[in-house]
Amino acid sequence: MPELGRAALLVTLGLSLYALVAGAMAAHLGRRRLARSAQNALVASFATTVVGAAVLLAALLRNDFSFTYVARTTSEALPTAYTISAFWGGQEGSLLLWLLVLTGFGAAAVSLNRGWARDLIVWVVPVFAAVSTFFAFLLVVVASPFATQAAPPDGAGMTPSLQNPYMLAHPPLLYLGYVGLTVPFAFAIGALLSGKLDERWLIATRRWTLFAWAALGVGQLLGSHWAYVEVGWGGYYAWDPVENAALMPWLAATAFLHSVMIQERRGMLKVWNVLLVLLAFSLSLFGTFLTRSGVVNSIHSFTQSSIGPWFLAFIAVVVAVSLGLVFWRLPQLRSPTRLESPVSREAAFLYNNLLLLALTLAIFWGVVYPMVSEALRGEAVVLGRSYYDFFLRAFGLPLLLLMGIGPLIAWRRASLRSLGTTFRWPTGVALATGAVLLLLGAGSSVPGLVAYTFSAFVLATITLEFVRGTRARKVLGAASWPAAFGSLISRNRRRYGGYIVHAAIVMLAIGVAGSSAFDTVTEAKLARGDSVEIGDYTLVYRSLDENVTANATEIRASLAVRRGDRDLGVVRAGKNAYTVEDQVSNEVGIRTDRLTGEDLFVIAEQIDPDGSVYFRVFVKPLVNLIWLAGLVFLLGSLITLWPDRREQRRLVARAAEAGIPATP
Amino acid sequence: MARKASPARLVIALAVAGVLAVFLLYTSIAGGGNPSLAPSELAGRTGDVQLAGRVVGPIRGDSHAGGLRFRLEDISGERRTSVAVLYTGSVPDLFKAGRDIVVDGELQKGTFVAQPGSMITKCPSKYAPKSDSA
Amino acid sequence: MTLALVLAAALAVACVVAVALPFIREPEPESDSLDELDEDERRRLALLEERDRALGALKELEFEHRTGTVSDEDYRAQLGPLRRDVASALQALGRDGREGRPTGGRT
Repeated sequence: MPELGRAALLVTLGLSLYALVAGAMAAHLGRRRLARSAQNALVASFATTVVGAAVLLAALLRNDFSFTYVARTTSEALPTAYTISAFWGGQEGSLLLWLLVLTGFGAAAVSLNRGWARDLIVWVVPVFAAVSTFFAFLLVVVASPFATQAAPPDGAGMTPSLQNPYMLAHPPLLYLGYVGLTVPFAFAIGALLSGKLDERWLIATRRWTLFAWAALGVGQLLGSHWAYVEVGWGGYYAWDPVENAALMPWLAATAFLHSVMIQERRGMLKVWNVLLVLLAFSLSLFGTFLTRSGVVNSIHSFTQSSIGPWFLAFIAVVVAVSLGLVFWRLPQLRSPTRLESPVSREAAFLYNNLLLLALTLAIFWGVVYPMVSEALRGEAVVLGRSYYDFFLRAFGLPLLLLMGIGPLIAWRRASLRSLGTTFRWPTGVALATGAVLLLLGAGSSVPGLVAYTFSAFVLATITLEFVRGTRARKVLGAASWPAAFGSLISRNRRRYGGYIVHAAIVMLAIGVAGSSAFDTVTEAKLARGDSVEIGDYTLVYRSLDENVTANATEIRASLAVRRGDRDLGVVRAGKNAYTVEDQVSNEVGIRTDRLTGEDLFVIAEQIDPDGSVYFRVFVKPLVNLIWLAGLVFLLGSLITLWPDRREQRRLVARAAEAGIPATP
Repeated sequence: MARKASPARLVIALAVAGVLAVFLLYTSIAGGGNPSLAPSELAGRTGDVQLAGRVVGPIRGDSHAGGLRFRLEDISGERRTSVAVLYTGSVPDLFKAGRDIVVDGELQKGTFVAQPGSMITKCPSKYAPKSDSA
Repeated sequence: MTLALVLAAALAVACVVAVALPFIREPEPESDSLDELDEDERRRLALLEERDRALGALKELEFEHRTGTVSDEDYRAQLGPLRRDVASALQALGRDGREGRPTGGRT
């Protein structure tokens, strides 16, 4: 069967190459049948990739160790769910997943938009094909998942740290995000190539971008949660290059999503928008390059592999060609509309772009600087947490504030008077909140207090918008308050879905501020019966238990938790010693206070033979707001993504008016 | 429309300048980060550095009482110099002889005294973000 | 092994067919040129987008006035210019329509 897999990927490569060459020729020469043929090739390449993926999946499921990849990433004893996750657990398989999603998205994007944007699609096809040719090439020539060997009796198995449910969701979601960004990129380049710089490329890709951005966001939050509860070092984000690899394209995509609203409304920022989508796509390629190439000499580097230089070359070509195209089309991208005032909604969005770009570049520099300094001075220099924290505060706090200002400030030019009336109430709420928090002791961290105050401001503006909007709909004749609320959201999905997403980001900011600026930590070595105090909790070390399972010995220390004289139950923390893999993992104990969102986080750092344990205990206020924010984020994204039939009809009507046929 | 040199342009330029100033501010306050060295490059270096190397046993002591003692050698290359390390604080699970680690600290009188809790282990296999920083 | 090769061959053949399909279906078509937007259509599309943009801005002003984001004063001040934008966009469309109608209804 590996022959079928290899053949399928070879055919995929052939189809992609054909789609690239034939598609480019068809677009340039204006040949209809050739263009259709190239489109078919793109769609067919999805089918062949599915075949290849099916072969690998089947091999995994029947534990066929004659496949080198299967032997390297699984073993007989591995539970089925994790055997499936081994598909994306290694280099070659993850590349195949990438190609699968890529060809799938390509087929869908082209088929769905063929009807009303055919003249644009003819250029999108070769661009998409170029990207899939690259990945197919890697899979056929450089890193094939279908290498074979004499089958060993058992496979090498999967690292215990990967054997958890997160491994099933986190990588696929991130891939949906990374790969999803290819769609707006392909449409942007297609628009530049064809000179069709009207709005259609934006409209066609808006939902794709939203979907990719939402997937990337949720994927990252899942990764953070994984780090928090499973890896258990007491935090959820370490500013590690691999983590930043996903954050950077997400920030660029955030800027893009906002900036396109200005192009739609005022026809401005066209150059910004093509550059931002190029940045987002390049960063997603760069991100996957970082994650797999071993070029970053840090804790998260994986096997040194030969794949790095290929990625770098591809990224260089993408950036060079795209910038060239932008420069070529610059006259058509220039908009006659000028920015009228530095205090206006357009300006607010421009500041938003600037700040997000600055934050992205700061993070990029933090990732790249060690490599650069090593290349230039022969000495690697590392930038620590304090570097990232500084820039997160310097750029993130103003961004937080802008979330409240942007949606409400007037278009074109906001007068002082209008600013006063619009922001009077939210500013008052924010200042009052700040004062109260200051009295409650939040002054211990100035950035934390500022974050809380800004968050209060933004939440006040969001609440205001929902209340006033609902009231307006009631006045217009809605049957009841809930009906008014419902119709408000359903008729203005982008606006109010966006507000819900903003609320999620604010919750995230509050959770991050609380758990990092206002947390407490203590350490103690306890013998049985000893206790330790932290905050208003008292923990008493009661017992140490050992439990032997099929593949590990689990050691747990039980601590009784009390607050004052209230018994809050038991927290258990310890370690798992995996026999076969000869590894020890940390198993932290977390007690969540459902009312305040606060976590009591216990790490059993060292367990001595005499039964005494060295504990590290954190109190992390408001940390659970972060995870709750993820759910709210998902809700807001879904509302914004939901298809709008009214809008669809309007677009079809407009296309018909212009003479563009609306049938496929 | 508006005059050529509208105030908006000026303000945008100032905003960009402001952002750049933030970068400049940071580098002037905090400097350029700590050098990352292999044990063979450590000799004679003063000040805070990051040491990256492979753990060589025997591993003695208690990181939470008196300090954990072990040696670090170069990860790659033929130079087999190793340096003694004294470490206190949290020890990541993956730590053992033969693992690659990084640790921050300072060379004092021939022994590399690590900053408490600064040890980070490299993950031995593909695709697992694993960080145990304090 | 042979099964794999047979399946692979079948896959390759299917793909070749898929790619050749447009040529097989229409061996001698009337016109093989791509539906391109000509000058007129492109201009019309741009004007339509301009009109929709102006209408959208007007709708948003109405919405924000109704919800109270925009005060009565500001509403009255902004209404005039926006209405003029819509009017001029519609005028431009009308002029364009008289000069050259795009041939709609192509396949």
